[in-house]
Amino acid sequence: MTGNSLIQETLQKPQAPPVLRRGATVLVRWREASVLIVAIAMAVYFRASADAFLTHDNLRNIAQATAPAAIVAVGIVLLLVSGEIDLSVGVVAALAPFLVHYAVDLYGIPVLPAFLLAFASAAVIGFCNGVIVTKLKVPSLVATLGSFYLLLGILLTTSHAYPAQIPEAAQGRIRLIFGAADWSSLIWCLGVVAVFQVVLTRTRWGLHTISVGGNLIGATEAGIRVNRIKIGNFMLASMLGALAGLLEAFRINSIDPNIGGGTALTFTAISAAVIGGTALAGGSGTVIGALLGALILAELQNGFNLIGVSANPFNIILGAAILLSMIANQYLSRLRRSGGV
Amino acid sequence: MPFQPTVVEQAAERLDPRGAARRRLLAGTGLVSASLAAAGLLSACGDTNKDSADAIGNFPKTPNWKFVFVNHVTTNPFFTPTQYGAEDACKLLGCSFQWTGSQNSVVAEMVNATNTAISGKADGLAIAVVDKAAFKDPVDHALDSGIPVVSYNADGARDAPGTARLTYVGQGLYESGYALGQRALTQIQSGTVVGFIATPGQLNIQPRIDGAQQAFTDAGGAVKFSTVATNADVTKGLSIVDAYAQGHPDLAGMLAVDAGSTQAIGQTVKKYNLRGKGLKVAGGFDLVPETLAAIKAGDLDYTIDQQPYLQGFLPVLYLYLFKISGGLISPPQTNTGLLFVTKDNVPQYQSTQSRYEGSSSDVKLVDRSGAIAHQ
Amino acid sequence: MSTVLQVEHVAKRFGALTALRDVNLRLEKGEVLGLIGDNGAGKSTLIKTLCGFHRPDEGRLLVNGDEVVLHSVDHARSLGIDTVYQGLALINELSVYHNMFLNRELRIGPLLNNRAMRRLAREHLSSIGVNIPDVTAEVAKLSGGQRQAVAVARAVFSDAKILLLDEPLAAMGAKEGTLILDLIRDLKDRGDVSVIIIAHNYAQVLDVCDRVNLLQHGAITFDRPTAETSLEELTELVVAEYRDRHRSR
Repeated sequence: MTGNSLIQETLQKPQAPPVLRRGATVLVRWREASVLIVAIAMAVYFRASADAFLTHDNLRNIAQATAPAAIVAVGIVLLLVSGEIDLSVGVVAALAPFLVHYAVDLYGIPVLPAFLLAFASAAVIGFCNGVIVTKLKVPSLVATLGSFYLLLGILLTTSHAYPAQIPEAAQGRIRLIFGAADWSSLIWCLGVVAVFQVVLTRTRWGLHTISVGGNLIGATEAGIRVNRIKIGNFMLASMLGALAGLLEAFRINSIDPNIGGGTALTFTAISAAVIGGTALAGGSGTVIGALLGALILAELQNGFNLIGVSANPFNIILGAAILLSMIANQYLSRLRRSGGV
Repeated sequence: MPFQPTVVEQAAERLDPRGAARRRLLAGTGLVSASLAAAGLLSACGDTNKDSADAIGNFPKTPNWKFVFVNHVTTNPFFTPTQYGAEDACKLLGCSFQWTGSQNSVVAEMVNATNTAISGKADGLAIAVVDKAAFKDPVDHALDSGIPVVSYNADGARDAPGTARLTYVGQGLYESGYALGQRALTQIQSGTVVGFIATPGQLNIQPRIDGAQQAFTDAGGAVKFSTVATNADVTKGLSIVDAYAQGHPDLAGMLAVDAGSTQAIGQTVKKYNLRGKGLKVAGGFDLVPETLAAIKAGDLDYTIDQQPYLQGFLPVLYLYLFKISGGLISPPQTNTGLLFVTKDNVPQYQSTQSRYEGSSSDVKLVDRSGAIAHQ
Repeated sequence: MSTVLQVEHVAKRFGALTALRDVNLRLEKGEVLGLIGDNGAGKSTLIKTLCGFHRPDEGRLLVNGDEVVLHSVDHARSLGIDTVYQGLALINELSVYHNMFLNRELRIGPLLNNRAMRRLAREHLSSIGVNIPDVTAEVAKLSGGQRQAVAVARAVFSDAKILLLDEPLAAMGAKEGTLILDLIRDLKDRGDVSVIIIAHNYAQVLDVCDRVNLLQHGAITFDRPTAETSLEELTELVVAEYRDRHRSR
């Protein structure tokens, strides 16, 4: 056809030198590289400042601090990518072990079904969050703030703000598997990260989640069931919150209502997701990045504690360190993009 | 003139005796240096140097032992005198301490801080044991690693300390509640007394109200005692106390087991002039300025000081003695005091601003003269 | 000639606003129908009603002679109706090939079959003469013409028999627009695909369409084969309405 060569010329883009393109493509493909560099740099710094940082014992401490935040962060990543957020996951994490305790100790339900009950309840909470956001059109920041307080109230009222004991029936093997064994929470964490990295990058669900967050109208026009995607991700986030809460409760051998109320879990998880490279605006995110972000935050907490920084100045340093990591991350990302395709 | 090292150099020295950090810091380039500098400066502000302490008094020369305090509300002003106490003890004995834990009573954070201290080979641990199950394993681990552990301010549940700690330094919570009730009973023989508690169930105040309840039960039941929850938020608590007072005009006594509720009682009694209307006794805990003013004015009869300064000073002293004697001096169970502050001795509390109450960081001698009040 | 799509007395309201009042339209097999009308006349609404995005408040639709109620865009797709929206419905963060298969992804079990999708995307694009060297590139990086081509290619290769194109030539220069027009001509040549195209450039409409409809006041007020009308007549029709409206003020 005569018109084609002209058209081909018009539509062909100019190419950069082949070597540069190939190297840059690798870096661009591996967006988590910059977060990994920051995490490694931090480990180097802390190792230089405190001999104990990389001992087996302390690595276990870091792993145990990373795991729950990373697990919740994975759920947050899915939501952020689809254009939403959930502030109530922390309370779901606190509530889940209480539900197990109530089921086993007050209603005589065996332990494993009680676990299922806890996860089912978390799924219901996520479902309600999702419906309020999609059908009632309340922005997720506000909606989940409301459910945060509601669930916190339920938690504190039913527990009388008093910590509870892990049910007798759950001691022993079950306790070990679900967080008490040294590396148990890390193994769960890595499993969750692996599964959801695949979900986000290699399944329809992940692709549609990205579409919903990137171009809501476009995704709807293309026929994607956007509400279903959002509600589903809310449910996943809540269930992951429940998992994190159970692991923490079993690890410390006590069911503590305070883990939900403070900023500990929710804020840490959101920070981890964002430090790891997930955009707050939606449409783009990385699960492995969230793991690295949680690792960075755990390194900071643990490292400065090892060095001996006390509580009041601690906050200054933690805040400064988070900002510095983010700036470094952004700087490296920009380097990547400009040097890339 | 001997060379006086600057704070920054001291910080670099402290951070990395090997010298790499010191060189980088003094060169002053890059992000890394910036964060190092920040960390170093601020750490240096808090702690003393890491050199071996010279022999002090009759004690031998010791390394600069580092003791870690794990607290549940690290930024709560109640513990400011505790930190001063620990700091003073450290200066006295040539050691240092770190104040860490959780800001919002998150037990998992406290457990993490404890584990980190153990990995970091702390020389001693002082933990506010606010959970009767969570600290068992970490304390066992610490003791197995040769680190002495004491608890302060809170010690698990009554009759169930929950850990193998060497001793508890703090107020006997149940006992103090019992004393609160007992003292009230010296002023009334009949009627109803209400007890306010900010957060029912919380391990460091619930035992107090349990103790008070027991005191009234032991007295034979002539005086009725009922408990009411107020609120962790002081302003909300005030509304609750106020409403209760209006709804129950024939109260014989009003008691409280936490600082906020105590203050609220004082303010309510004054507002409705309840002392002139049949209220015979009012008392509570802690030394908030409003409470002291209420005692002076006669609205409140007494408040109980748990002496948080000692809860920082004594653990350091005990851990030091344990280490210096090779474990032969075992820390004793210590009640940091059940001091009643009444109209007689309140003026001194009100007029002085001191480290010992946390209201000032100045190191100074607090004058006292005259007779010492007693019953 | 058989009628692939018949629209009878369709109305669509949004609250107090009546977008479509009484639309009657037919589309014959293998023909390209041009839909013109002033801005805000309701052309996009009509397209969205025909593709299952909106449900009509009144009236009925017949596809190949059978009455249908379109439950969703997916349902419409299953009946062979596909759309290229004004917004293109492309996801900027996704690659060209993922966009081409959006909501129609090929899978192996639960996982995406990216290799097959990449291969097919390359084949489809080259078969219609579009040169996009890297189908794994993010769609955000493409030019306007390339993006439009991807959106149109997506619809063309979805085995759709009825294609609805909402302003496919908007914001395109002459060179890039030519590609799309050629594409449409190729589709016409195939004979089994029918197209409704909304456009504002009446010269292009006359060039590529077989027939033209004017949507005015919520109904089709003009229906003529393009051979029997002219640029001047079409322009006059639309302008006259504007003049009437302003004279009566």
